[in-house]
Amino acid sequence: MKVSLNWIKDYVKLPADMDLKKLAYDLTMSTVEVEDAEELGKRFDGIVVGVIKEVLPHPNADKLRVCRTDIGGGEIKEIVCGGSNLEVNQKVAVAVPGTFVKWHGEGEPVEIKVSKLRGVESYGMICASTEIGLEDLFPLGGEHEILNLNAFECEAGDPIAKALNLDDVILEIDNKSMTNRPDLWGHYGIAREIATLYDLPLEPIAEIIPEAEGGIDIRIGDSERCRRFIGTKMEGLYVKESPFEMQTRLWRVGVRPINALVDVTNYVMLATGQPTHAYDKDHIVDFISARMAQEGEKLVLLSGEELELNTDDLVIADATGPVGLAGVMGGAKDSILPETKDVILEIANFESRGIRRTTQRYDVRTEASSRYEKAIDPERCDLARNMALAMYKELYPEMTITAYGDVYPTEIEKPVIDVSLNWLERRLGQTFPNEYIINKLSRMGFDVTIDGDNLHVVTPSWRSTGDISEKADIMEEIARIYGYDNIQATKITTTFEAAINQLDFDLSRKIKEYLAFRCNMQEIFTYPWMTDKTVEAIMGTTDGLLKLSTPPSPTEKFIKCSILPNICDAVAKNERFYSDFAIFEEAQTYMDKDYVSKYDEKEKIPGYTKAIGGAFTGNANDIVGLFRKAKGVLEMMPRYTHMEGFTFRKDVKPVWADNTVWLNIYVGDVKVGDMGLLAKKPSMECGIKNLAAILFELDFYKLVPFKSRTNEFKHLPEFPENNYDISLLFDESTKWETIYEAIMKKAKSEKLLKSASFVDEYKGKQVPQGKKSVTVRLVIASTTKTLTSEEIEKVAATVTKTLVHTVGAETRY
Amino acid sequence: MKEKLEALLRDGIQRVNEAKTEAELQEVKGSLLGKQGSVTLLMKEMSKLPKEERPAAGQLINRTKNQLSELIDTRREELKLKASEVSADFDVTVPGLPPIGGGLHPIIQMCYDLNDAFRSMGFEVFEATDISSEYYSFDKLNFPPNHPARESMDTYWLEGHDSGESWDKLCLRPHLTGDSVRYLQTHKAPYRFVYPGRVYRNETTDARHERAFFQYEALIVDKDFTFTAGKVMIQTILSKVFGREVKIRMRSGFFPFVEPGYEIDMECLVCGGKGCSVCKQVGWIEVMPGGTPHPNVLRSAGLDPDEYTGFYVNIGLDRLVMMRYGIDDVRLFNSADLRFLEQFR
Repeated sequence: MKVSLNWIKDYVKLPADMDLKKLAYDLTMSTVEVEDAEELGKRFDGIVVGVIKEVLPHPNADKLRVCRTDIGGGEIKEIVCGGSNLEVNQKVAVAVPGTFVKWHGEGEPVEIKVSKLRGVESYGMICASTEIGLEDLFPLGGEHEILNLNAFECEAGDPIAKALNLDDVILEIDNKSMTNRPDLWGHYGIAREIATLYDLPLEPIAEIIPEAEGGIDIRIGDSERCRRFIGTKMEGLYVKESPFEMQTRLWRVGVRPINALVDVTNYVMLATGQPTHAYDKDHIVDFISARMAQEGEKLVLLSGEELELNTDDLVIADATGPVGLAGVMGGAKDSILPETKDVILEIANFESRGIRRTTQRYDVRTEASSRYEKAIDPERCDLARNMALAMYKELYPEMTITAYGDVYPTEIEKPVIDVSLNWLERRLGQTFPNEYIINKLSRMGFDVTIDGDNLHVVTPSWRSTGDISEKADIMEEIARIYGYDNIQATKITTTFEAAINQLDFDLSRKIKEYLAFRCNMQEIFTYPWMTDKTVEAIMGTTDGLLKLSTPPSPTEKFIKCSILPNICDAVAKNERFYSDFAIFEEAQTYMDKDYVSKYDEKEKIPGYTKAIGGAFTGNANDIVGLFRKAKGVLEMMPRYTHMEGFTFRKDVKPVWADNTVWLNIYVGDVKVGDMGLLAKKPSMECGIKNLAAILFELDFYKLVPFKSRTNEFKHLPEFPENNYDISLLFDESTKWETIYEAIMKKAKSEKLLKSASFVDEYKGKQVPQGKKSVTVRLVIASTTKTLTSEEIEKVAATVTKTLVHTVGAETRY
Repeated sequence: MKEKLEALLRDGIQRVNEAKTEAELQEVKGSLLGKQGSVTLLMKEMSKLPKEERPAAGQLINRTKNQLSELIDTRREELKLKASEVSADFDVTVPGLPPIGGGLHPIIQMCYDLNDAFRSMGFEVFEATDISSEYYSFDKLNFPPNHPARESMDTYWLEGHDSGESWDKLCLRPHLTGDSVRYLQTHKAPYRFVYPGRVYRNETTDARHERAFFQYEALIVDKDFTFTAGKVMIQTILSKVFGREVKIRMRSGFFPFVEPGYEIDMECLVCGGKGCSVCKQVGWIEVMPGGTPHPNVLRSAGLDPDEYTGFYVNIGLDRLVMMRYGIDDVRLFNSADLRFLEQFR
């Protein structure tokens, strides 16, 4: 909302030396966010009044003239101009060199320079209203018409802002910061806040209740939706221009002046926040009513749009049907026309939620509806009437009010609140003198009395529509006017009760840090929804998934049921730039089943878990390497993150996995996750072109963190441990697990054999068809002596023999 | 003999001193003192000398031999100190091999920094589900029945769960504050906890607006807690995050679930408060709303607002992280683009 400071000054006399920056700052700190404070006059810097002394023909152009123009300071300059209405002694607006103007009112502003036009040097430019942003105040008469200022008292050289009395400061207030303050949607409300902040008197608006001969037949069909209606019939009016000063007031805050009859209604709304509407009396038949529309009833709005109404819409109607959409927009046929003489002025109060529903239903929003939506109090109608009737009287001294009616069925309740001063002090951490509290609250319109510890306040009507209702609200009023920043900060007291021990959060963080810092994986964020195509590719079905009713796009409607679809999209996306990378994400996953009520039995949340999943990607020629890398990360995860260990089994193949390369991950008998190679078909379907990806996903809630570290200390070996590698041939189908178990079984009797580990396997030229060579590293040691090489070799030979007998190994040479 | 020895010694000293490496020195040593070395050969010649001259000659040879031997040892120590394993042309200007590394998401990094700071002040960390109900997201938070945020233009509702009573209507949580009530219900006052998490709004995205963003809320509920104590807490937190004193201001603001409510602004770190394009020339950046939990919110958690009060802040981590690194497009956070994410390792 735009606020004119000159306008504010009508209601509160600001000191001449008021620092405007401070005013904007103080308002921001205590009341509303002032986004900008523009000195209006600066918009017209470099544009001055010129008086044309001579109009000479241009030697080289028929349509151009050379105007010898007085621009003040005794200087007569030659300015080339194509204006159609140039005259000697005419006062015009001259943009001097260096000024930016909108050439012919179009495009970006350009800088005016001293330049030759068709061979004649021109000093600056004589402007049209459109070229200096004044078209709303001075509508263009013809295409080549320049702005004529003869009607204004001014002299050559006067800045245009002074000539038109445009020196003002316009505050731009963030509407969002005052959605809860319907009282601030007009200049008078803002003035009241300023008066409170600086202890200045607020000008009262004199009450005018007309004593008209006749009444008006006002009918309120629904007193919930229309809580008050004041109708005033005025005769002897006519359409004319408003005084220039009034026009500029409207213009300064962004409203286009139309004619005096309409301008008054806008002016009153901008001053009080209360919308009003003027109807041509001749178009209102028999009575005026605020009633609910009938289903299918039609109304053509002022904007020309035809609506088909429903029974939730409040309309203003007469005996013949709807004449306006209440609180939103007037109807086309009943508005002020050039020949309008007599007017019925509506000042009414409509309930906010109903207005909001109607504006949404038809997507029609106006200055009026946006104010009603904030919940205006019905007593604002009085203020608006006082101001409107005074203005009409002033503009049309000859007019008469021939009828008046005010229907106000139920008076608004003004909250009465008692606050303990002691409570206030404890909450604010600071004492405020009684006089301070009384002064500030009274200036805001509260009726205040203090009796001992009790502060008794009656809320003003303009704060009674939901804004103020209990004592915390009163505390806020005092604190914000004093300034939150001015209240002395007090220290936080800490009482030590018990150390915070949150194993689950620690585990989640440990896992992420393990994956990121030990395993070189990058954490990513994706949205909680998935793309249809990828879900189908990865999960095989979309059955049982939750959907958004208004998804971000028609192909992104499913709620995340697994980490993996979005991971696969991320792989496809990064494949362009990286040839091997590893990523992971932690997120909640949901299915449309197993609903749980954890916090309230009425609320049922779909079954969910927290999942951690990821992908290792690399060259498709080395799937073994990629697989071992991924498996290693999972195998070592429990050790580094201090949780119950994993075992790997092949029970149920994940839908997305390759037929051979996959494993289920268990903690004890509980399946906690899967890993495996993304099969070729789903991989291609989600757009991964070349890379192989090993995926994994773990169900976080099934992981079991240790309460503390469980690492055990072992004595360092007293005698050397010897690594001894043996390479043997096995059938290609022989699993490492079988070889390992055979060795470890032998280790039970062969005490010198400490452990065995996989080094590598090889298939190729030197190995016969159907066979593979496996290299095993044995650790051989004694706890009592240093072994000789013969002793070591003897143990290795025993292992080889065992493998030959039990697993069918063959020695290579 | 004597002359021969002296010549040998002179020559030996010179050659030892000229040896540039230990290997060269070893060669010199061999040629002097080895089996075929010149000193050794001279020793053999001694048998040709008359018997009476032999002792003196032997002494002389031994002395020479010891002298050279000592010299060689000294020279060897000297060379060891000067030695390098590689050629002197070794290029130390070649770049190092960076350790391959992964990383946490920049927002998670910030979240962990804050967790550490809050936990050091005795706060618990709380977490709830991304899917919530209108009941918890709005009703319990004192949102009026027709508040615009309840409508689908702002909130993502779930299909088949978008009508009926407020507890039947499920959505992706539009803010975290509803979860505070969940915590309050299941724990005993006084409370001191933080709840980080992502929230979702049905909005059009651009460089400054996202559909999913990360919030971080902190809540204290206690008896007679003055709201200004919260100011100290905020200052502490922001200073920790940015590693230096950060100026803040608290100004009036409105949120349905707090009373009083305020906006907390931080001095713009880009221009130091002078005004720049980042802070829209204001010098301040809005970082978090805060306030005292609204009496109705406390009531919905079963607490008596006359007895209990507290302090609440909601920190928008996306914006704070953008400030931390000068990121100009909020959408990058959810892009999963490694070219972006790997910059924050």
